[in-house]
Amino acid sequence: MAAVQDAPVEADNEKEIKTETLNDAAGNHASAAGGVIPSPPVASTSSSGPAKAGGPGSEEQQTLMAVLQFLKKNNFVGAVDVLRREAGILEDSDESQGQELAASALGGAEAGDATCTLSRASSCTTSTPAVAAAPAKGGEDQPDVNVVLSAYSQQGDPALYQGYYSGLKKFVESVLDCHRAELSQLFYPLFVHMYLELVYNNHETEAKAFFEKFSGDQECYYQDDLRVLSGLTKKEHMKGNETLLDFRTSKFVLRISRDSYQLLKRHLQERQNNQIWNIIQEHLYIDIFDGMPRSKSQIDSMSGSLAGEAKREANKAKVFYGLLKEPEIDVPLDDEDEEGENEEGKPKKKKPKKDSMGSKSKKQDPNAPQQNRIPLPELKDSDKLDKIMYMKEATKRIRLGPESLPSICFYTFLNAYQGLTAVDFTDDSSLIAGGFADSTVRVWSVTPKKLRSVKSAADLNLIDKESDDVLERIMDEKSASESKILYGHSGPVYGVSFSPDRNYLLSCSEDGTVRLWSLQTFTCLVGYKGHNYPVWDTQFSPYGYYFISGGHDRVARLWATDHYQPLRMFAGHLADITCTQFHPNSNYVATGSADRTVRLWDILNGNCVRIFTGHKGPIHSLAFSPNGKYLASGATDGRVLLWDIGHGLMIGELKGHTDTVYSLKFSRDGEILASGSMDNTVRLWDSIKAFDDIETDDFTAATGHIHLPENSQELLLGTYMTKSTPVIHLHFTRRNLLLAAGAYNP
Amino acid sequence: VIVYKMASPKTLPKDAQVMVQILKDMGINEYEPRVINQMLEFTYRYVTTIIEDAKIYATHAKKSSVDADDIRLAIQCRMDQSFTSPPPRDFLLEVARQKNQTPLPLIKPYTGPRLPPDRYCLTAPNYRLKSLQKKVTTSAGRITVPRLSVGAVSSRPTTPTLGTPSVQSVTTKVSTPVSLTGQRFTVQIPSSQAASAKSATPSTPTVQNVLINQSLIGSKNILITTNMVSQNSASDSSSLKRKHEEDDDYDAL
Repeated sequence: MAAVQDAPVEADNEKEIKTETLNDAAGNHASAAGGVIPSPPVASTSSSGPAKAGGPGSEEQQTLMAVLQFLKKNNFVGAVDVLRREAGILEDSDESQGQELAASALGGAEAGDATCTLSRASSCTTSTPAVAAAPAKGGEDQPDVNVVLSAYSQQGDPALYQGYYSGLKKFVESVLDCHRAELSQLFYPLFVHMYLELVYNNHETEAKAFFEKFSGDQECYYQDDLRVLSGLTKKEHMKGNETLLDFRTSKFVLRISRDSYQLLKRHLQERQNNQIWNIIQEHLYIDIFDGMPRSKSQIDSMSGSLAGEAKREANKAKVFYGLLKEPEIDVPLDDEDEEGENEEGKPKKKKPKKDSMGSKSKKQDPNAPQQNRIPLPELKDSDKLDKIMYMKEATKRIRLGPESLPSICFYTFLNAYQGLTAVDFTDDSSLIAGGFADSTVRVWSVTPKKLRSVKSAADLNLIDKESDDVLERIMDEKSASESKILYGHSGPVYGVSFSPDRNYLLSCSEDGTVRLWSLQTFTCLVGYKGHNYPVWDTQFSPYGYYFISGGHDRVARLWATDHYQPLRMFAGHLADITCTQFHPNSNYVATGSADRTVRLWDILNGNCVRIFTGHKGPIHSLAFSPNGKYLASGATDGRVLLWDIGHGLMIGELKGHTDTVYSLKFSRDGEILASGSMDNTVRLWDSIKAFDDIETDDFTAATGHIHLPENSQELLLGTYMTKSTPVIHLHFTRRNLLLAAGAYNP
Repeated sequence: VIVYKMASPKTLPKDAQVMVQILKDMGINEYEPRVINQMLEFTYRYVTTIIEDAKIYATHAKKSSVDADDIRLAIQCRMDQSFTSPPPRDFLLEVARQKNQTPLPLIKPYTGPRLPPDRYCLTAPNYRLKSLQKKVTTSAGRITVPRLSVGAVSSRPTTPTLGTPSVQSVTTKVSTPVSLTGQRFTVQIPSSQAASAKSATPSTPTVQNVLINQSLIGSKNILITTNMVSQNSASDSSSLKRKHEEDDDYDAL
């Protein structure tokens, strides 16, 4: 892969460091220990930095000690002597090492290989320091040998897993009602982890029995996952499934109140429940909060994602959600209809007046990023002209509201035979691009003005470069047509995006490339290779120059049009990234994924600043409100969720659609949210009202609990049905007319 | 686009029934009927590939019959080759961490279209013009191919086209699928003549009797005219029968 050229170099460096420490720590042991354990971690680039230096050395030593102890236990005195002599271990040192073993067994196991046999041990690399007082793993009577050996085998006895689970079930049923909802959250992750454990360690029959007995108890919104799991009965089946492997190694996050947690802990620390306590500690991360236990509905609204909920710290980083200041542009005097633009209400002056768009105050909005936080391209003359057009159109914009709903103009693609996979409109609504499953991209002109391509170089030499209409003269009249077809991809085109200056078009496809097309010559300019797997969505930044792409490899990449390699990589999702969207201030990017979470990334340093959970299906559409404060997301479960970016909370849930919500768009001033879905309808929602009743008191902000009002019906302003055409894309024109696009599907 | 459930599972062959059951188990209840065929094809191809690979491994290991280990090895190798999966998460996190450490590059102002270096773009010409050979214009040794020029017919009854005989045009134009049987016309062999049609030499205006068979004017509405290199254009036009085409559309050649 082009993008990962750096990695092997780093791996080499790390290998060198490791062999060095091995030589230091183990001394003569290196030669003896070489045959005992596998070679130093090959391409292991997992996190735990400082622990690494000491890790491999002590791991070898521990294994050595374990072998010694084993020989001693079985009275192989002669062998013990020989080994001790050859390894150069002093007689008393191995006794003291025995104590160290027990304590550092976890640490040693955490040094983590990427090899299969130790991958269970590596699951602890992601563990937090909360596991300090964990009793010895395996819980068997000999802590020293078996601790190390248990790192190579599964935890506990497979036949007893059913017993553990039933025991937990009985316990949860016996607690008080208020705690029961919270503790029931344990069931699903435990079920999946225990099942995967059994499968991974080749206990097929026990796994099947376990699944049959307990899969019916799980929540209904996990049904899809359970179906996938039911087909997975052997370890080999898991090998290709990166999502499940990630699930095994990452910790499922649960948020439980302190009281419920105390109850749970007290119950599980009893002697006979030791096993399940170990399992819980290994696979779950319990985020404790102080306060009232949550109700079932509150829990249900936030859960559903593959990684549990978000930890409170994950949503605490400061996010600059404000908009960037618009540049001041001199507006020419001879246009008479500019009086309305002057917001300060000054009388029309005779000299040209500057127009400040929107921001009355000259000082910096504290929630907005600095102008130069990320480098942005400067405004060209053509961009300034565009902005002037924009301002003029803005004056003619219709104010929308519950009383004045927008008109909807629907563009239906005929004869597409289910091949239409992506649509985009330019900001001024003059062009439509459609991506198709036959790997073509077609561009149509919405206005009567035809599409023309630029003349060839020979002809361009002949025109008069000084004339006023030179921009018209460079166009080749012979090439005028209503639509243009762009060939180049070798797979279905899943995403298209126009650049804000209407010069470029991006398309991303199943062949793993993102292509940049020129809309002046209608030819392909660049193919950006980096994803080696289908790319599901791509988006230009609102200021141009940057664009983002997300695909099957679970990584979103930020590119600039003049770099052939990505500038940023956003890794963290557990499953494919299905949807990508830029924030209006171009400093943040939102990605929606098949692991049912929405993440917000900071472009400056690549950090994930927000994780939003709550959807019960893969997310297919995202929309930022024009003021940058809120994010709306739609998924296959038919719900639209509204998120407050600043606080990191869910503030609304819009129920109504019965099928996947494929498109979301806010109106130009943010008064109305339009959603289009596979159930052939467009629905309009009152977003001002939805954002009005937010209770952001201290408790909510601190704990992240929300109490969602059941007001979807009041917020719904209208439902508009099409004649069996799923709505794939929505777009508000600059005057607040709603355009929709879809392919007729009888 | 038609989607319906299989109406008669009993009449399906056994492995198709198994496939229906598998789809049902995986929760897929609506699918086009051809899906079953595609799945069965894939299954068949995959299994035969694996078994063939396993046979090769077994013979390589000098075993008499294929056993489970060979199959396992064959599956493993195929997985690494065809069914690759994206890199693991910790690897991606590490690569991302390194990539995200470098600060965003500054943008140079006033640089025109911002594209990567030309090497990484697709803007280079992917063709090269072949240099022209010097034209061989000897009169001797000329090909004695009867020159037929197939001209598009226009609705106006104008003089027939007097195209200058040119070497290149023959091959393309003769390829039109019109039967030449059943007609009678004299073809002019140009061996005796120079290329110029304008020669004033009163070289024999060879007889051109063109009897145009109606069947020639087939679906393509193309009239075959002979290439007449003669002086008396006027007289020729009268001797030629020309079909007037009613419809305007014709194949532009």
